[in-house]
Amino acid sequence: MLLLLFMCQFILGQTDSIVLKEVNVTDSQLKKFSNSKSILKINDSVIFKNRSSLTSLLNFNSTIYFKENGLGMVSSPSFRGTTAQQTAVVWNGININSQLNGLTDFNTINSSNYNSITIRAGGGSSIYGSSAIGGSIHLNNDLNFENEFSNNLLLRYGSFNTQNLDYLFKASTKKLSSQFSVSRNSSDNDFDYLGTNKKNENGQFYNTSTNFNFGYKLNATNFIKFYNQIFDGERHFSGTLAAGSKSKYQDFNTRSLIEFSNFYKNTISNVRLAYLTEEYNYFEDKDLNNFSYGKSETAIAKYDFSYQLNKKINFNTLIDYTRTIGFGSDLKENKRQIVSGIFLMKHQLTDAFLYELNFRNEITSNYKSPVLYAFGANYKVSKIYTSKFNFSKNFRIPTFNDLYYQAGGNENLKPESAYQLDLIQEITVNNLVFSISGFFNKITDMISWKPNDSGLWQPINTNKVKTYGVETHLRYDKQISKNQAIQFVANYGYTISENEMTKKQLIYVPYHKLTSNAAYSYRKITFYFNYLFNGQVFTSFDNKYKLKEYTVVNSGIEYQFLKSCKLGFQVQNIFNEKYQNVEQRPLPGRNYTVNFNFNL
Amino acid sequence: MNLKKLVFGALFSVVFFTSCSDDDDTIVETPIGAYDNGVLILNQGGFGKGNASLSYLSVDSNTFQNNIFALVNPTIILGDTGQDVGFYNEFAYIVMNGSNKIEIVNRYTMAHVATISTGLSNPRYIVFYNGKGYVSNWGNGSSTSDDYIAVINLSNNTLSAPIPVMEGPEQMAIANGKLYVAHLGGLGVGSTVSIINLSTNGISSLSVGDAPNSLEISGETLYVLSGGKPSWTGSETAGKLSKINLSNDTVSGTIDFALTSHPSNLEISNSDLFYTVDSDVFKTLVNTSTLPTTALFSTTAQGVYGVYSFEVQNEKIYIGDAVDYSSDGKIYVYSSTGNLEISKTVGVVPAGFYFN
Repeated sequence: MLLLLFMCQFILGQTDSIVLKEVNVTDSQLKKFSNSKSILKINDSVIFKNRSSLTSLLNFNSTIYFKENGLGMVSSPSFRGTTAQQTAVVWNGININSQLNGLTDFNTINSSNYNSITIRAGGGSSIYGSSAIGGSIHLNNDLNFENEFSNNLLLRYGSFNTQNLDYLFKASTKKLSSQFSVSRNSSDNDFDYLGTNKKNENGQFYNTSTNFNFGYKLNATNFIKFYNQIFDGERHFSGTLAAGSKSKYQDFNTRSLIEFSNFYKNTISNVRLAYLTEEYNYFEDKDLNNFSYGKSETAIAKYDFSYQLNKKINFNTLIDYTRTIGFGSDLKENKRQIVSGIFLMKHQLTDAFLYELNFRNEITSNYKSPVLYAFGANYKVSKIYTSKFNFSKNFRIPTFNDLYYQAGGNENLKPESAYQLDLIQEITVNNLVFSISGFFNKITDMISWKPNDSGLWQPINTNKVKTYGVETHLRYDKQISKNQAIQFVANYGYTISENEMTKKQLIYVPYHKLTSNAAYSYRKITFYFNYLFNGQVFTSFDNKYKLKEYTVVNSGIEYQFLKSCKLGFQVQNIFNEKYQNVEQRPLPGRNYTVNFNFNL
Repeated sequence: MNLKKLVFGALFSVVFFTSCSDDDDTIVETPIGAYDNGVLILNQGGFGKGNASLSYLSVDSNTFQNNIFALVNPTIILGDTGQDVGFYNEFAYIVMNGSNKIEIVNRYTMAHVATISTGLSNPRYIVFYNGKGYVSNWGNGSSTSDDYIAVINLSNNTLSAPIPVMEGPEQMAIANGKLYVAHLGGLGVGSTVSIINLSTNGISSLSVGDAPNSLEISGETLYVLSGGKPSWTGSETAGKLSKINLSNDTVSGTIDFALTSHPSNLEISNSDLFYTVDSDVFKTLVNTSTLPTTALFSTTAQGVYGVYSFEVQNEKIYIGDAVDYSSDGKIYVYSSTGNLEISKTVGVVPAGFYFN
């Protein structure tokens, strides 16, 4: 009894530190309920070393395959052998995949807008909703309540008149935290197609994104936070080796989120209101005023209640109401309302063993929704070795295009569903982290667009797909001496993604992908290499047509001077590899970037 | 644990994956050399994929070859979305819709002769008359007012002034110095045939059914087959066969299809008239006034999901099957009574047969 009292007191006494730990992240489930998952966090120092699109960051730092319709053009992922619509992108806890086509175009996300980017491999639909089948990508802005005042300016200039400006301003006190960032990218993007006398024509693009994030501590237990992001971009869609292009495409996306949180004893209550808009305009001929468009507006209200029963058991329930309207030139205007109830539990059974449970149920009139769940465990076998297990049911809901596209939309679609098993082994020794994950995914009712017998293309729930494979991650850091440090990171993925009816590998899923980054610093100079090997991919369902495997290596040097300045030089595709990741769309050969970074 | 070894191992694996990558496993094939006495099959390829190709099947079907354009012209990409092939003298004109160009080859050897890459915008079909080539063009898909017939001077492959027409010009026929253009429609659904006097460029038009998709001339009559508006438009209309008297350019008769029947692929061979509905092939007499109630045969046994391309020649029926629109397509050759005689795997999306 005395012990219990003591424990309670201990927990109460801890409230403050819990508050401090949890207040700066909005996506708290990523931290609290991902113990049985494979998590890879990319911090801002790596983010700044890469070109600013999320495509190039993740392409060189993960086993996710990217299908890019030419540099800077529409870019979609394949994570663990799944389709582009089976990867969820989560912005500060909110799923931001397009309501119209179900995917996130990774070239419309500027990675420099976030403090951290986390890759959560495997199913996460019971927490993050639709599309978290292959995995989810988490874009987070952390608001710190500590005294800080900083300015960071990054300027880049590179081949093909590629210009990039990233500016980040942070000012915070113990009471107030604010961030403002702006990112501007543009490029003529007129690189030569290696081995031909052609150029990448009509590929110019520009985009600007701004972020404003603000947090205010009302008192010791109440916080209010606000996040806002605006992305505005225009791309001319480049042609191919076989055909020119005169089209252009505009994106305009806004995301706003306001959050009230209350920390009371061992509970955390959280109310989030979000409003997301997306809009595209497609001009078949850039010189004409005719265009087709699509637009969606989503309002989300979320109540998140977390309860720490005792030191070992944590409950979290969420109620989410999402209302979306979608309309466009080819879309039958429609409204979708979804109410989801989510229950999460984590139990630290012993010091070394914990398990977690997730359930989600959705109610909507637009499609039949299954109960989603996940069960996972984390066992710390020894000081250096952790073993994890996770089993889950996940889904991908039909998009507005799938349901209401004119003509062809099919209002009788079911969500795609996926059962998934993850087995993860992690070893951490001093400066070395090594992990190996095996995964198995059985996806049914895959939605694919096929012509019906009168030639009209319609989406139907048809394919069954089995994806399985292995992912490994290795990281080694060492401060060799006072002046020297090295860092080495490698990711390798082996993926089978098989259509169960035809026994063929899915198109645009490589069997092998390997990325590796090495950095060596000596005093104020850093050398680094980024390495990417992408295995061959098939481009036709019969696996007859394919794209060759390729290896791309980037290398750079960075010099720090005057304490607050850095000057860098980078060579992309140093070996001038001729490669494509979408057929007939070559990517650039060797090209150069200089960058200047100023920190105050 | 030896960390150095581990790091080295990981670095080594980098080298390993680069060096063990397999080489191209293309099968070396040589051109046959003479692509006459047979049929050229235009494989459209996927839109945006730039993988159009040509296949050849001899009349006796003993000789068959895929990818014949690339075999003869390895440095030239045929292009994106092959739409039509027309023969004029010893040349074949290959209309590439997605690439906005026409590749001209020697029709017997496939050797590349020239490329027309200007003056075309969404080109569809080509016909020839009196030293000129006429190419129907949709212009921008989003514009209803920029459609035209491009005019090619065949002696030097230059373009003369285009002839503006109504939206969605598709298949064409030539008779008595006049060009008959079926307006399938683009953004909207067309329902007319334009008649262009090629000596004066004067245009008149005649109403036919909705969405005229194919036309054929037999004797002094032009037969126009219209598919009708499909059900998803919300105002479904029936297909229609219209007969146009070429001596006075008037509609001399029409036959209506049942409302939910949307025919396409009109072909006339001697006194027989063929068309298809979904995966069924129908046959009747040219001078018929009623439609057959039962199909000659169905292609469903071959798994054909709607006939993608269709041709009748020398008592044989040729059918192209797009399969899944991504994989290699299939062609089937049937006897005039519908017995399957030959099947071949061709390139992606077989879109047309051209007898050489």
